[in-house]
Order: sequence, then C-alpha cells, then structure tokens
Amino acid sequence: MYSLLRAALLIALLCLALPARAQLVVIVNAAAGVEQLSKAQVINIFLGRNREYSNGQSAVPLDLPASSPDKALFYRNLVNKDLEQMDAYWARLVFAGNTSPPRLALSALDAVQQVSTNPGAIAYVERKDVNSSRVRIVFSVGGVNN
Amino acid sequence: MPLHATSRFRLLALGLGLVAACHAPAGRAGESAGDEFSIRGFGTLGMARSTNGEAQFTRDLSQPHGAGTSWSPRIDSSLGVQANWLASPSIELVGQALSKYHADGSFAPQLSLGFAKWSPDARTQIRAGRIGADFLMFADSRSIGYSYLPVRPPVEYFGQLFFSAMDGADISLSFPLESQVLQAKLFAGRLHEQAPSALGMWDTSGSKIAGIILSTQMDALQLRGSVTNLRFSHNHDLAGFDQTLRQIGTAYGYDTAITAANALGTKGTNSTYYSAGFVYDDGPLLLQAMFNYIRHQTNLFQNSTAAYFLAGYRVHSLTPYLGYSQVHSNRRYSSSGLPDTAAFAAVNEAYESVIASSTLQQHTFTTGLRWDLQRNLALKLQWDAVRGKPRSRFLVSHPSASWNGKTDVFSVTLDFLF
Repeated sequence: MYSLLRAALLIALLCLALPARAQLVVIVNAAAGVEQLSKAQVINIFLGRNREYSNGQSAVPLDLPASSPDKALFYRNLVNKDLEQMDAYWARLVFAGNTSPPRLALSALDAVQQVSTNPGAIAYVERKDVNSSRVRIVFSVGGVNN
Repeated sequence: MPLHATSRFRLLALGLGLVAACHAPAGRAGESAGDEFSIRGFGTLGMARSTNGEAQFTRDLSQPHGAGTSWSPRIDSSLGVQANWLASPSIELVGQALSKYHADGSFAPQLSLGFAKWSPDARTQIRAGRIGADFLMFADSRSIGYSYLPVRPPVEYFGQLFFSAMDGADISLSFPLESQVLQAKLFAGRLHEQAPSALGMWDTSGSKIAGIILSTQMDALQLRGSVTNLRFSHNHDLAGFDQTLRQIGTAYGYDTAITAANALGTKGTNSTYYSAGFVYDDGPLLLQAMFNYIRHQTNLFQNSTAAYFLAGYRVHSLTPYLGYSQVHSNRRYSSSGLPDTAAFAAVNEAYESVIASSTLQQHTFTTGLRWDLQRNLALKLQWDAVRGKPRSRFLVSHPSASWNGKTDVFSVTLDFLF
C-alpha cells in the first residue's frame, strides 16, 4: 500500500516538475516597491480581478504572444487552464465591456524591456531571460512562493 | 440568416463612429498602435429543433418566434463586432454592433454597447453610455456563446430578461483583502428595447433601472448577489383588453372592474429582481448555481422564482456538462372585478387568459458536450429535456391550446471569436 502511495506521489511530483523546466518567473520594475507577490495576487493581476500591488501602485500586466509556449505554461501553472479556456474567460469580459486582457508584449525580450522602463508593468518570462537590474523577480511560477 | 447589409454597416459605423468621434487620436510612446485600437468579434452559427410542434422554443422573451420541429438557425445564431480604443491610460471607448434575432423579427445589427470607461485608479471603474446589464450574473455576455459552456444560458433562469443593455452609467469599486477581492457595482439607466409577448409588443424604452451587485472572489470561488429595480415607463399593449374592461366597468357601474383594469397597467409600476449564486471555476472543473426571485407590482405578470445548476469537466479539448434549471411563478389573487355571471363570462375568461399568459411551471435537464476544435472555435451539442405543466406558456412562443409543456430540444452550435 505504502509503496503504491510512494509511486503515486513520485508520479505526481514528476508531473508537477516536468512543465516547470522553463522556470517561469514573474517580474516587476525594480522601482515599483514590490518585493514579492503571492500566487493569489499574481492571479488577480493577470486575470483582471484586481490590478494593483499591496502598496497601491497600479499593475499593468503583459502577456506573451500565443505562439510562445511559455504563455500556455504560465496559465497552466497559475490557474490550471489551457489557452482555449483563457480565451473563453476573456471573451466574456471583453465583449461584455468589462476588463481588458493583459497587453501583448512582442516577445520575452520586449516584456523585460517594458517592465524595466514602466514602473507598473508586470510580466512572466523565463528566468534565463531576466538580464536587467531594473527588474525584480517577485514570484516563481509553480515555485515556493505560492 | 437574413442579414440586412445596409443597416448592418450603418450600425457598425455608428458604433465605431462613437469610438472614433469622441476623442482625437492620442498615441503614447512605447505602445504599439494595435494595443490602443482593436477590432474584434464573436459569433455563433447555431441550429436547434424542438420535438413538440405545439409551441416554439425561444431563448428569451425578446424573440418573437422560436425553433419549431424543423432545424432552425434563428434562436442561437449571432454575429458581433467590437471596437476598443484606449484613448489614454485611464480612458477607454468601446462600441459594439450585434446582429442577432431581435424583437422586430429581423437580424438587423444594433448598437449593443457604446460607452466610455474611466478607470481613475486600479480599484475604480466608471462606465457611461450604453452598457451591459449584468445584475443576473453573465447576463451581459449571453450573446457570446464562446465564453460559456452550454449552447445557451438556461432559459428558465435568464429567459424573462428581454433586455441586455441599458443607457446609463455604472461604477465598480474593488476592495482587495488578503487573497480575496470584494467588488460592489452600482448602476442606473434607462432601457431602450421592445419586448414581444403573447399579448402584444411591449415598449419598454425609457423604463428606469437601478441596482447594486455585490460579489467576492476567493481563489476559484465567486459569490454574488444583486438587487435591481425596474420602473416601467409604458403600459403593455393588451390589444385593447384593459380598455374594454374599463369601459364595461364604467357602463355597468363596477368600479372593481376599473380597478382591475388599472392593475393590469405596467406604466409607473416596479419590478424587482433579486439574485444570488456562486461560480466555482477551478482548472478543468466548473460548477455554477444561481437563484433569482422576480417580484412585479403589476397584476399583469406573476412573480417568479428560478434557479439553475451547471457542472462541467474538461478533458483535453472536450468538456461534457450537465445542467438543471427550473422556474415557477405564483398566480396572485386577482379577478376582473365583474360578477361571475353568464353575461360577463367572455370578459372573465379573457381576463383569466391574460393573467395566465405569464405562468411558469417548468424545469429542464440539460446534457451537452463542448468540443474546442481549435483556439477560438468551439462546437457544442446539447439536448434539453424541457418538462413543464401545460399552463407554463410564458417562455415559449405561440403555444397552441394543446401545448403540454414538454419538449426535447436538440441544438448544435459553432461558436467563434475573431
């Protein structure tokens, strides 16, 4: 029984670990005054429920293009939804005239660039793409901060 | 689908014009033009048929005819185009033209949304213009089939809501608390739509609407409640029946008949909508349950209570779902005010039939499958087993005397975004 449980746990851990290979992180502008975000805060910002940091500063989320596998990975890890489900979610909010989806960055490089120059911007990129001292990692997707 | 191209483009232009005319272009450094101005759309190609030809199955009270025993694209097909313009970081202009089966029997596009949105900070949002009416949760996205799981929102719950937008303003305030977000929305405006019914066309334009919606989001769970008041500005057209009753009351000296005729009026009367419900949306699992109670001051409509439950679970690109919805109305005590004698039998019978026309006593079991064929394209197959009493006639169109309240509705839709 225990060995079965251990095997199941191992498989579950592997399943969790596999999609995290890209090591996605959420970054904000270093001058935003944000040290760390909880998973709930990241969800609220990217799903348009509440787009502000704890210090009251407005958050402007950026999405990667759908062609980037990191976009699907981000939402899969964040809310366990695929992009079709996210499309349906945003269709409801956009076409009812409510919240708008995150603005689209052209690429991960563009996202880092926008976050480094815009105090409110927030984006998800691979950890290896974080190459500017003007951005700060505030959440590891699927990491320990949740 | 009879689309009137000329009026379609005229209204589309109106919507876009609204967006474009309000503000001169104002580009901002570091932003692509595509982000500031966008044109997007949504649509549904749908076919539905009902197995009982004694009444036509409609989606809601705004539809003058419904689906009969042969496959019909009428009730579910729609096409919408929307322009958004982010005129400044805090001001957005939105215009939307929607072609669907309207109260006048046409698919002529109408301006479904056209408003300016101002977000002075992250917690506040103010909209003014033609805005969606969402006091029943999701009611403002009823035409966007791609956005929800079933073919159409449950008829028992949403069917009485014949309007989807108002001309007015709303303010939304968010209060983040730890991982929870509380939201309050206040709205007020006027309706602009017509509502066809078995009794005749009802002009609800100018009717005042106001209400409050409170909601809270806790992780995957959203709780929501609302209270809305509607004050009608016109009487319902009763094909002269109320006038006849008044004249008979005057001629024969029955003040009670005059009172009864006046009580059928809708002008100046209030209808109040109460709703509460929850949505649990966690990865592949979706659960929804909603309840509403509608109370009318006029004797013309019966108060009603409705509820629905929907559950779906996504496996790869397939999401099977099950739903149950029900509605029942309560006939209040009222009479024509005339004695129950042979001389007045015809009038009394007519009065009873007017009062009975808003009776609701039915429930529906829904079974369906959504198949996301690719991004922005979903195919849905659905079977609705409508089980009601023969007197439940309010939400179907043109019921015959032998309508037994029961039918099975089969639907296929292709929902898309572009």
